[in-house]
Amino acid sequence: MKSMKKLMAVMMGSMLALSLTVGCGAEPKAGGTAETTTAAEETKPAEEAKPAEEAQKTYKIAYIARAQSDSFAAWLANAVKDEVAKNYKDVTVDVFDGESKNEVIASHIENAVTKQYDAILLQPYDSEAQVAPAMEAMDAGVQVVTVNNRINDNDRAGAIDADPVAQAAKNAELAFEQIPQNGKVVVLMGPAGNMHSDKRRIGWQQSFFDKRPDVKILDEQIANWNKDEAMRFMEDWIQTYGEIDAIISMNDNMAVGALEAAKAAGMTDILSYGVDGTAEACLAIQAGEMTSTTLQSAYALAEEAVKLTYKLMTGAGERETILVDCPLITKENAQEYIDLHKKAGNLK
Amino acid sequence: MNSKGVNQWWAKATSKYSIYIVLIAMFIVCSVISPVFLSTKNITNISRQISITTIIAFGETLLIICGLIDLSAGSVLALSGVLSVAAYKMTGSMQIAMVVGVSVGVFCNAINGILVTKFKTPPFIATLAMQTAARGAALLYTDGQNIYQIGEYKALGQNSIGIIPIPVIFMIGTTLMTWYMLNHTKFGRHLYAVGGSEEAARASGVNNNKTKMTAYLINGLFVGVAGVLFMSRVNAGLPNGGIGAEFEAMTSAIIGGTSFSGGIGTAMGTLAGAFIMGFVNNIMNLLGVQSYMQQIVKGIIIALAVVYDIRSKTKRDKKKQGNINEKLVDSSNKAKEPGAL
Repeated sequence: MKSMKKLMAVMMGSMLALSLTVGCGAEPKAGGTAETTTAAEETKPAEEAKPAEEAQKTYKIAYIARAQSDSFAAWLANAVKDEVAKNYKDVTVDVFDGESKNEVIASHIENAVTKQYDAILLQPYDSEAQVAPAMEAMDAGVQVVTVNNRINDNDRAGAIDADPVAQAAKNAELAFEQIPQNGKVVVLMGPAGNMHSDKRRIGWQQSFFDKRPDVKILDEQIANWNKDEAMRFMEDWIQTYGEIDAIISMNDNMAVGALEAAKAAGMTDILSYGVDGTAEACLAIQAGEMTSTTLQSAYALAEEAVKLTYKLMTGAGERETILVDCPLITKENAQEYIDLHKKAGNLK
Repeated sequence: MNSKGVNQWWAKATSKYSIYIVLIAMFIVCSVISPVFLSTKNITNISRQISITTIIAFGETLLIICGLIDLSAGSVLALSGVLSVAAYKMTGSMQIAMVVGVSVGVFCNAINGILVTKFKTPPFIATLAMQTAARGAALLYTDGQNIYQIGEYKALGQNSIGIIPIPVIFMIGTTLMTWYMLNHTKFGRHLYAVGGSEEAARASGVNNNKTKMTAYLINGLFVGVAGVLFMSRVNAGLPNGGIGAEFEAMTSAIIGGTSFSGGIGTAMGTLAGAFIMGFVNNIMNLLGVQSYMQQIVKGIIIALAVVYDIRSKTKRDKKKQGNINEKLVDSSNKAKEPGAL
């Protein structure tokens, strides 16, 4: 018995070690090699001598992702790594996984302070829960910049975000023209209390529902950003209401899921709107199945976020809040964004 | 058959059929309160919606009867589904994709089984470890991104044969398989025996470890099939798919009368439990019940099911004192039968 237990402990340990090496092995491959090549290219033509560069300070950024298992968060983390590797030869970035848990994110922030990172680039999970640890980090002299979501009470942290109300409003303005008189729509929401879901819903309210009292909301349900849940709701709605003119979804996953059910029921001319600009939505839009979405570009967010972080670390700039643009994607320009996703490796 | 036997049969029958009475009552109530509920299309919808959860629920049923559990079903579903999608994209062959999906399911559950039988890890912990590891593997393989453009892979989850959706055919297949295993095989009898009392089962000559291992392997088969069906239904490879699927499946099993104390449960009960959950979800959507309210109603139903489970369990325990010797003799006789032939 005892030897078996030992054996198992060894096995578990080696499994853990293996998974760690696999996990870390992949990272430097993406970031590290690119970094060294660009550094080499840039130093050659530069006049400054080699010793001078060695004396130069290198800055360390801790990038704390909301959850590496979330496809957008994973894309954003990769975009940040690429951005640093490409354009900032004196910066290194380490990525930490927040696992969608506030306490995990808090401990990552604390660890980053102890390990003396120059800056923390944070993708907040909860706007309120991350305030206290972020403030502590700033008190300890570490710069904090939030990206993709903001923390409340954020007069000290820099922030890069896309405006969720505007993201929804752009789709809503298109829907204002497209949805027929007395149209019937269904609404799909993200998880209850999710900031982006709620703000996007406000965008729809202001730019569409308030202006079109003739439109009837047949039902409005939480599908937790999930494709399969949205599909299930839509199947039931098709049974109950028969005719549905439009799917209004707070993200693309749910829109595409509902669309899948509509297609199965032979409803080919249904309108559908999402937000995020995922690869799948771009493909559906190009195929003429989905109507529109707005892009939340991880590249744009990463570029601005690293730029601001760099400015703060080097003392070259003040903290600020920057809202990145969110372009509307329709059939006309879908190809452009499909190419973007291909480049990002989101489409293979 | 003496009077004792008749009594036993009667007690078994009432506890066995009460779940079907609940199911029929719900069916009638739903048909009355919503005019579309009874439509053929809606019934096929419900069947398709519950099919994947139900297939996993049969795996959970086998395990729970045997006193085991699988918390990794949702993650293993995602891993086998994603790898199956990848295999399809590489080869274009649905057969290969299916084999890959099922093999991954069986492989993960073989590890579960080894941890539980060889290393005596509590099933809860062993499968929790697998839950984390399998999800991690699915995310690692896909880089956290969904796999799109999977072509005709979707046919399996979205097409129908006649009016019966293909996932429902799989559900019927697994129902029959589970029913047959539990009622007509030595393995089925061993499951009940081990779940009822490990010591008694061992004393009467049952190979407990072999039974447990087989239960995990069959669970792996079901989870693998469910993974392929899931991805094909949503027409994408979702590494984040099926989070919490194991709990939905366990809920169906428990509502259907499977007892967490082990040794009790039936295939048809689980199917009924799955349909009850399916009816509840469906009717609330048909009626447009507000989403927070839906969660409360679901919570109440789960609570009622557990209360029911505990009540029938305490009834059984009272009887068990008197029956245990008889049961022992009974199961050892049954176990010996095939050998005697």
